[in-house]
Amino acid sequence: MKLTLITLLSMVLLICSLGAFAVPQSPAPGQKPAKAVTSKAQKVDPGEQRFKQNCGRCHNPPDSLSPREVKAVLQHMRVRAMLTAEDEQLILKYLAP
Amino acid sequence: MPVVCEMSHVCERGTPTLAGLAKPIDHISTEEDYEMKRAGLALIGMLLAGSAACAQSDVPILSGALAFLGANNGGSPTYQPIIAPVLVAPLGDHFVVESRADVQGFIFRENGNTGPYNGIFAASLDYLQLDYIANPHLTVTVGRFLTPFNMYNERLSAVWITNLQQAPIIFTIGTRTSASSNGAMVRGVAIDHPNWTLTYTAYVSALTTTENLQAGRAAGGRAGLFLPHQGFEVGASYQRFLQSGDFNVSGMYLVWEPPQIPLDVRAEYAHSPGGQGYWLEGAYRLASSRDTTTWLSRVQAIARVQQYFKGNPTPEDLLPSADVNQFDVGLNYYLTHNIRLNGSYGRQYSSAGNANIWSFQITYRFLFPAWPGGHQ
Repeated sequence: MKLTLITLLSMVLLICSLGAFAVPQSPAPGQKPAKAVTSKAQKVDPGEQRFKQNCGRCHNPPDSLSPREVKAVLQHMRVRAMLTAEDEQLILKYLAP
Repeated sequence: MPVVCEMSHVCERGTPTLAGLAKPIDHISTEEDYEMKRAGLALIGMLLAGSAACAQSDVPILSGALAFLGANNGGSPTYQPIIAPVLVAPLGDHFVVESRADVQGFIFRENGNTGPYNGIFAASLDYLQLDYIANPHLTVTVGRFLTPFNMYNERLSAVWITNLQQAPIIFTIGTRTSASSNGAMVRGVAIDHPNWTLTYTAYVSALTTTENLQAGRAAGGRAGLFLPHQGFEVGASYQRFLQSGDFNVSGMYLVWEPPQIPLDVRAEYAHSPGGQGYWLEGAYRLASSRDTTTWLSRVQAIARVQQYFKGNPTPEDLLPSADVNQFDVGLNYYLTHNIRLNGSYGRQYSSAGNANIWSFQITYRFLFPAWPGGHQ
């Protein structure tokens, strides 16, 4: 029981300490300032947003996909990740505009 | 085969496969084997014929990963080269055939930590399924599919996705036999609201003892509530295992991925007559957002705690015979988009003996069209 508390406490502390790193960092060379990034974020592509909300939960975005490959990928993920029909259409436009 | 059983607790993500091979076959039936193989061949034939017919519009893709895993569990070194190919073939707008195999070697020392190295080869079919996307709320699946219990098996067990190479201790609860089911499944999004979605899955599986295609007789389901704007999901699973005396298995899972910070928190709880337990994992990319543009943002720190409480496990449960507490810490580094390095250390506390668990893995993820010209 003691060990349980210690491990749980450690986990919480770790998550909190990691979260503390999540402060805005200085922009890397070539990056726009934070304000510009924020304004861009407000106009985020709905397909990109759906991609991040659904696909990005388990894996990184694909390197490059042709429109013909995207259809197979999306049908696969529609079943596997239980995407809605709207998710599928928006992500399709995002990955293969 | 007993050596496989002995090794199954140290065989990282390959546990279900090797364990499946080691499982005693109680009801060997030549006719059943024949029927299963014939059904498999028919499905593959249908896939090829259908894919060729749709070749002009839908290109099948070949995806998956190559990996090499080295581990040391309590002083016993093991090495596993792994190939996990995934084939996806859309057949028009409503049908898709998808399949994943798992081919791996398992190299170990004859007496655990002494003696010459031995190797065994294991191949299994994780899934080969035909999906019919009936409407936005219903998909019907037949064939062999990953057992949808909680979320680890379906979403995180792939070698290129899992953060820590050792499967959770409670992984075999709800996925007993081979982590795959042979039968039928319905799934989909029951309610699609802009702020939340309710998903469901229900399935039945038949007992199959054919080598590499094992499955248990079971029925079950899962429901999940997803809040996309908060990146939060919670769900519950239930399974009735309809053999070995019939018993109930239940579980819950939780995922939280706040959009503002690159933190992933995942947890599962599972209960069966053989035992119960939970795991809680946090993974954090060393960046202020989820992009991977800087080298530091490609580093991911991971920590996991888990506890297992013994019930009345049988050998088929593949659960520890004593209570276990364990923590793991690890690092992932994405060398390029498709290559990932993992390293982890874990410490296991049990009345059966404490152990240090080290692992290292390199994984190459691939995806290309199944025939030439598809990438254009």
